[in-house]
Amino acid sequence: MGTISSAFSLMSGALDADQSALSIVANNVANANTPGYTEETPNWQQNAPLEINGVSLGAGVTETGATSLRDRVLEERLDQQQQLASASGTRLTALDGVQALFTPDSGSTASAAGDIGSDMTSFFSSFSSLEANPTDNALRQQVLSSAATLAGDVSNAAASLNAQRSALDQEASGVTSQVNSLTGAIAQLNQQIQSTSPDADAGTLEDQRQQDLSQLSQLIGINQIKTENNGLSITTTSGQLLVSEGASYQLTTGTAGGVTHFFVGTTDVTSQLAGGGGELGGYLTARDQDIPGVLSSLDQLAYSVSTQVNSLNNGGTDLDGASGTTANPLYIFNQPTAVAGSAASMNVVMTDPNQIAAAGLGQGTGDNTNAAAMANLANQSIVSGLSPTNYFSNFVSTLGATVSGVQAENTAQNASVTQLQTQNNALSSVSLDDEASSMTTLERSYQAASQVFTMLNTIMAAALNLGDQTTVS
Amino acid sequence: MRVDPNYVSNLVGSLDQAQASQEQLTAELSSGVSITSLSQNPVASGQNVLLLNQIQQDDSFTQSSSLVTGQLQVADSTLGSVVSQLTQAISLATSANNGTLNPSDVKSIGNQVSGILDEVQSLANTNYQGQYIFAGGQTSTTPFTTSTNTSPGTTTYNGDEDVNYLQTPNGQKIQLNVPGDQIFSASGSNSVFGALNNLVADYASGAVDTAQAVSDTTALSTAMNYVSQQRVTIDNSITQITAASDAVTSDQTQLTTAQTNLMQADVATVSTQLSLAETQQTALEDVIAQLDSASNSLFSKLQP
Repeated sequence: MGTISSAFSLMSGALDADQSALSIVANNVANANTPGYTEETPNWQQNAPLEINGVSLGAGVTETGATSLRDRVLEERLDQQQQLASASGTRLTALDGVQALFTPDSGSTASAAGDIGSDMTSFFSSFSSLEANPTDNALRQQVLSSAATLAGDVSNAAASLNAQRSALDQEASGVTSQVNSLTGAIAQLNQQIQSTSPDADAGTLEDQRQQDLSQLSQLIGINQIKTENNGLSITTTSGQLLVSEGASYQLTTGTAGGVTHFFVGTTDVTSQLAGGGGELGGYLTARDQDIPGVLSSLDQLAYSVSTQVNSLNNGGTDLDGASGTTANPLYIFNQPTAVAGSAASMNVVMTDPNQIAAAGLGQGTGDNTNAAAMANLANQSIVSGLSPTNYFSNFVSTLGATVSGVQAENTAQNASVTQLQTQNNALSSVSLDDEASSMTTLERSYQAASQVFTMLNTIMAAALNLGDQTTVS
Repeated sequence: MRVDPNYVSNLVGSLDQAQASQEQLTAELSSGVSITSLSQNPVASGQNVLLLNQIQQDDSFTQSSSLVTGQLQVADSTLGSVVSQLTQAISLATSANNGTLNPSDVKSIGNQVSGILDEVQSLANTNYQGQYIFAGGQTSTTPFTTSTNTSPGTTTYNGDEDVNYLQTPNGQKIQLNVPGDQIFSASGSNSVFGALNNLVADYASGAVDTAQAVSDTTALSTAMNYVSQQRVTIDNSITQITAASDAVTSDQTQLTTAQTNLMQADVATVSTQLSLAETQQTALEDVIAQLDSASNSLFSKLQP
């Protein structure tokens, strides 16, 4: 007797369990396309059996809630790989902008426009032409105009680089507000998770936290440290604390040396962030390493060419018979005072073609020695031990190799991210086929349980009637 | 074993890549250039800079050398004219020296020699494109001026000893001028003007000091030979420039071929790659379409 009514409660327990499992399935299907949602499975718990008079009787089943199917190690690996891919991707975009300034001259006249290598050759060749006829006004004009083309292209390239650098600077500082809002959100989620489910997976809260972590990893390089009670601490790759369980620390910006610097508290973390990964790492590497490197090469070239040409021209005799003096130097280019910044400020200051000192010091105006010497600069090691053309050729190859290297890195990292993403999806994404089959199974077991319930009802009625068919139906 | 339910989105990523690859190949075909950015081939880009530099230098030299050749040829033909003038002067002097002429005839010969001196001086003061070619480095100063205040007259050289050279791309130096005093008023009996002035003085009065006149005529002959020798330097320069110019032109042709091969797109290769890329894209699109239609889940099969 007790067995029949306990059977009733067993069956109603089963019906409840099935219903609750079905609601989990329905939740999965509803959230099939929600980003960051992890598939949940119902937890079936067999109730503790009862001991009555030495007989062990089962007590049915309870559905104790849902467990999210996630692999934390996999998720963390995915985040780390995304940091790297994000950093190299951002850096690659910046470098593509830099190398677009130095597109190779294909040899046709149109493509030579803006090519600094061709400009330099034309400039030194104009002195070679001047050797043939040092007093010719047209040839002298040609010297000044090719000098102006060279100076224009060099200073334009430097100006573009500086502009790109500012743009990167702005983008980098724009990332901080996103980072701060994400760290704030994560800290709050930490608090909620630690208070609601310190011992078990926190389900949707955990999903949200993971989603935030994933976004944060794309922005900035982080290390995740699991703490007790399902908590999480986040530091930058170099160790600066951003989130400590329920508290978050802001990333602030300030200006130093004309560029934005980043602080956590009072510590300047800019150089550490540059190597740390994430978009911020990419921006900072391009801003503080790649672009300044290119600029300094250009500066070296501009400085050497300007100072050497100026010095030679100043030491010769021009068409009016005059030589350069301290008060009135015969400079073709704006004489730079330091290597840094000489590319941006390179321009032609000489306006009178007569002032080109083609003749040597103390010679008659028909002499061409100084013009020959200036033409020869093209073959002398005046730029860091290399001739101007060799220096530019090296510069171009090195830049190309750097970009090509970052491209290869980025491709490899993206492939790795795709692979990890696929693995993660295989585990945690909602597979509609799985849900359909679960649903069918639960439906059948619900039918079975309700069928048993119906039969138990019939048996109970029979028991109540005690064989007599009329009292209860 | 579970699979990623979202694998179709990965295929879409591949589709983007196939599209990008097609665009790049099409751009290569239409522009004819295979290397449009440094990262595509860093070594070739660096090499390209060096090749273009050399080609442009060669081109510049070819242009200069044709200008210079013109100047040298003018110098050469001027000296040719000088030699024929001097030949005439010598024959006039010889006829005056044989003692058969009367004083007025001698004076007449003296005037003719004086005319020849003026003509030679004018030739020595030849001007090419506004510059005096026999003045050394002082090309805006008239090289020779004669003063008749003394007897014999004095021809002064107003230029200097400066010699200009033209450098070829391979470092050869070609002499572009000979200073006037080295041709026309070299020391001793090599001086053309010295000899001419002396002869003018010899025949001015009509009475000929035969010994002196013969000596001066011999000096003129020596000087004329000396001029011919100096002319050789100019002729050598013309030959050298022609040779250098030919060498540079063939060098330029070779380098241009090398540079073109480096940078130009090989149409056959690019077309093949483009065709492959298009095929791949079409195939991917078909696969995605198929999979998408097949990805109806089990739900669609369940009976309500």
